[in-house]
Amino acid sequence: MTGKVVYRLWLGLLIALMALGFSAWIYQLVHGLTVTGLNNVVSWGLYITAFMYFVGLSAGGLIVVAGAQLAGLHQFRQLSRLAVILSAASITVAASFVLPDLGHPERAYRILISGQLYSPLVWDVVVITTYLTIACIDLWLLSRPHESDRALTVMALVSLPVAVLVHSITAWVFGLLVSRPFWNTPLLAPLFISSALVSGLALLIVVATVLNRLRLIRVDGEILRSLAKLAAVFISIDLFFLFAEVLTAVASNVPDHKDQTMLLLNGKFAKYFWPEVILGGVVPFFVMAIPRTRNNGTLVSIAAVLALGGIALKRLNILAASITLPLIQFPPGQTGGREVAPGATFWFRTGDYFPTWVEWSIAAGIVALGAFLVTMGVRYLVERPAPEVSTLPAGQPAGGR
Amino acid sequence: MAEPKKRYGMAIDLERCLGCWTCAVVCKAENNVPMGLWWNRVLTRGGDGMDMPSGTYPDLEMSYLPLSCQHCEDAPCAKVCPTGATHIRNDGVVLIDYDKCIGCRYCMAACPYGVRVFNWAQPQRIPDFDYGYAAARPKGVVEKCTFCVQRLDQGLDPACVVSCPAQARIFGDLNDPESTVSKAIRERGGQRLKEEKGTKPKVFYLSQRRRQSL
Repeated sequence: MTGKVVYRLWLGLLIALMALGFSAWIYQLVHGLTVTGLNNVVSWGLYITAFMYFVGLSAGGLIVVAGAQLAGLHQFRQLSRLAVILSAASITVAASFVLPDLGHPERAYRILISGQLYSPLVWDVVVITTYLTIACIDLWLLSRPHESDRALTVMALVSLPVAVLVHSITAWVFGLLVSRPFWNTPLLAPLFISSALVSGLALLIVVATVLNRLRLIRVDGEILRSLAKLAAVFISIDLFFLFAEVLTAVASNVPDHKDQTMLLLNGKFAKYFWPEVILGGVVPFFVMAIPRTRNNGTLVSIAAVLALGGIALKRLNILAASITLPLIQFPPGQTGGREVAPGATFWFRTGDYFPTWVEWSIAAGIVALGAFLVTMGVRYLVERPAPEVSTLPAGQPAGGR
Repeated sequence: MAEPKKRYGMAIDLERCLGCWTCAVVCKAENNVPMGLWWNRVLTRGGDGMDMPSGTYPDLEMSYLPLSCQHCEDAPCAKVCPTGATHIRNDGVVLIDYDKCIGCRYCMAACPYGVRVFNWAQPQRIPDFDYGYAAARPKGVVEKCTFCVQRLDQGLDPACVVSCPAQARIFGDLNDPESTVSKAIRERGGQRLKEEKGTKPKVFYLSQRRRQSL
């Protein structure tokens, strides 16, 4: 298959998924959120988990661009456009995930015209909009024929604090709630920042590697290795924060906080928690930290994919641990809030939830939208590498350089 | 001269509560609460199920905990509501403006008491049964106990208070030290749920004065 055919198939797939997601959203709007798996106990699910995850994924771009700019690491310049495109697309995806979660999305404008300033959700809307604007300005600056070093430095100085805030405020949406002991810890914001850095860098590594192999961009192996080294540092910090949080909860023995933590350690969600820590944390850390494995591009990409999965599970576990265990669980409990089959109970003392096909479809559509934005960005905003001086003769393996 | 500001509150006498759910059912009728949702529930404190005691015979223990919106003075739900749909009225009643609610359910995550419910689908009521005095809510908004605001505004007590066969509920103005509710809370040492969360509920529970053996 030629590149053109693959490209068209890829676009076709994305458009099909977006159409599926959009139709599922219309279906949900008509019938209400009852078509999701959500209920009065587990009132937030896949959409909010994905929102958290994609806010985190947006970290890579601005860190690489702003951090490298301020540190004077100009060799990262070859990745800066791709990194900012990934950031802008991720934050757009994150914002899009909030809409299908709303019972009345047509009223969302109210947050803008009469936002209630005590609400962390309003802070989040403001900071996410700012972040997206900064990413767009960065992209414009980077796409001009002559990059202005001075302008990029100014943008870096503005964007770093905003990047820190975007992850902190997203953490505070959850962390400031007294009703949710597992979230209500000062460590949540630092933890969200470290997780964001891990997943953001991992996404950049994966996408850069794939595009490099497809010869759509040119990335030096050295750059990918430095990114992997940086990711290893962030993974270790992220694991350390998680350990500190779990140790505090378990050792202090404060009832609700401990119960919610134990749900992860050896309860209902242990089957997600331990893969998160081992496969999504420890394994990629060693692959990226040990020089021998770090020098192997394929291994690093696999490790980055594992880290991406690990952080996704982490978002899921953070949400699930708190939301499935209400503070008051006396029987009969809370009502689920929807019709049930005769004989089945609609009373729930603790939460029970699994996303429905509607939620999966909408999620797939929104993620496809992000992939579409990245594809368009790479096609129109990222410079193609100059063709190799003499293309390799047919049959010769390409990896021999 | 302006009337002194009222601050409505409730005391629930756990010694008198029978666990009969009359208040819960009357609440549904009065407030037009759709099928599948309850604003007011009577929980059992004891064993693993409703009306089940804890312990082994003959050392059994059981009591009831009627639970609905606690109308907190420092209401976590009102603090997080992005549009101000959930607000605290001048007289302390925590209300939802259903036209402003965007259905984000942040308030449900924020409430420590789990008393808020969401209209997941188009609300369904028992067919042909015209019940309730509170305006019906649309799908996609959160709802909860309003202290029967439609009755308060007519100078009446909430429906759960007047309907309780055991007269376990006392309602009134917490700002008036001589009101029945203020006196009961003072004399009986009224306690609030999850006091340590700092939400300052205006629903007080009067504990049992003697140990109940079954």
